Amino acid sequence: MSYDTEHVRNAGNGPTMITGLPTFTELLTNTNLADLYTATRQSSGLTAPELIERVDVSKKTVYEYLHRLERAGLVVETENSGGARVYEAEDFELTLTIRRIEVSITPEIVAVMARADEYPVVNRVCDEHGFVTFALAHDLINAHSEGDVTIRQIAGLADLSDGTAYDLVEALYEIQKLGDTDSGPTTFTPDDVANDDLASDLTDE
Amino acid sequence: MGGSERIYTANIVDTVIFRSLGKSPNQHLQSLKQAVEEAGTELWVSPSIYRELADYGQEPPRNPYLDTGIEEGWIRVATPLSENRETSFDSLCDPVEQAQHLADDYLNQQSKYPETNNWRDASVVALAVRLFEQNTRIRVITHTADEGLARACARIPPEFGYYEIESRYYNPPQTAKQQFPIVESLSWSGQ
Repeated sequence: MSYDTEHVRNAGNGPTMITGLPTFTELLTNTNLADLYTATRQSSGLTAPELIERVDVSKKTVYEYLHRLERAGLVVETENSGGARVYEAEDFELTLTIRRIEVSITPEIVAVMARADEYPVVNRVCDEHGFVTFALAHDLINAHSEGDVTIRQIAGLADLSDGTAYDLVEALYEIQKLGDTDSGPTTFTPDDVANDDLASDLTDE
Repeated sequence: MGGSERIYTANIVDTVIFRSLGKSPNQHLQSLKQAVEEAGTELWVSPSIYRELADYGQEPPRNPYLDTGIEEGWIRVATPLSENRETSFDSLCDPVEQAQHLADDYLNQQSKYPETNNWRDASVVALAVRLFEQNTRIRVITHTADEGLARACARIPPEFGYYEIESRYYNPPQTAKQQFPIVESLSWSGQ
């Protein structure tokens, strides 16, 4: 049976039990919890001992966090073909709407927060400008990697200083492995872009 | 070279590239200085880009990215470009100003978020056209980490009859640390 009520949509197999809601928001502030969730998501089917090797917290904390993530429905414990207990992460999207501003917390955002200790600009933006600005800058930087905005536009649209925008761009490109690191710079010549349209009202005689 | 007159190659560099290299002194800037000398070129920045990189928190203000290179003579800051973004294109006669407006419109047109483009982006293109206007035997290479701006650098100067331009686009931006301060990047490739 599926549901499409005001608060529950497309439930498919019926309402799933989700408890431990604070875990969702803790993913934004607890780097180690975010790191464990991200490690589970990026390499599915790992056992607890394998996860302990991947993250920088004690064995006891890993089990505690896995239990917390399970209660929130963010990871599930299953059995692999060899009979070992393994963990799989579930994707999620937590959407908040405040004063008509809608912001989503997703695994991609959590993966950035998992590296916040290595890139102080991430916490600096969250602390000084708030999560909405951070999420906006995150999306704009992904748009930058597609060639859709310039870095100065990111600074203007997210109301960040130029310096902070440059630092955040570098951090998110590294964390999310954006761009093409294997090749040298792309060189555009006039022939390469000759078909790009110019504003006709400026160039028409 | 058979006695032919030498063509001057100018490299115009955007803020993000210097940010990537870091503040002076460091090994990346030292490599850059050597590459500039070997390539027989100079680096150019617009005044607005100089201001973006300057540190106004000290008296007198310093530019930790550029001042050493400027004092040593391998980085040059251009004289100011137009600040008149509101002037209508039709009333402009100066090709440099026209180029800046054309680049501004092009960037807005290419962007996912039209009408939010920054006027300083267009200054990179305007500086290229100015160098062409002021020098008869010149080639220009631009360096940026913004794809739209990189395309604009190659697209706009031909509108004014200048085709000797190559525009290098660094993606991801931090690759400029290794890929910019080398002779190959600063030299005309003739692709």
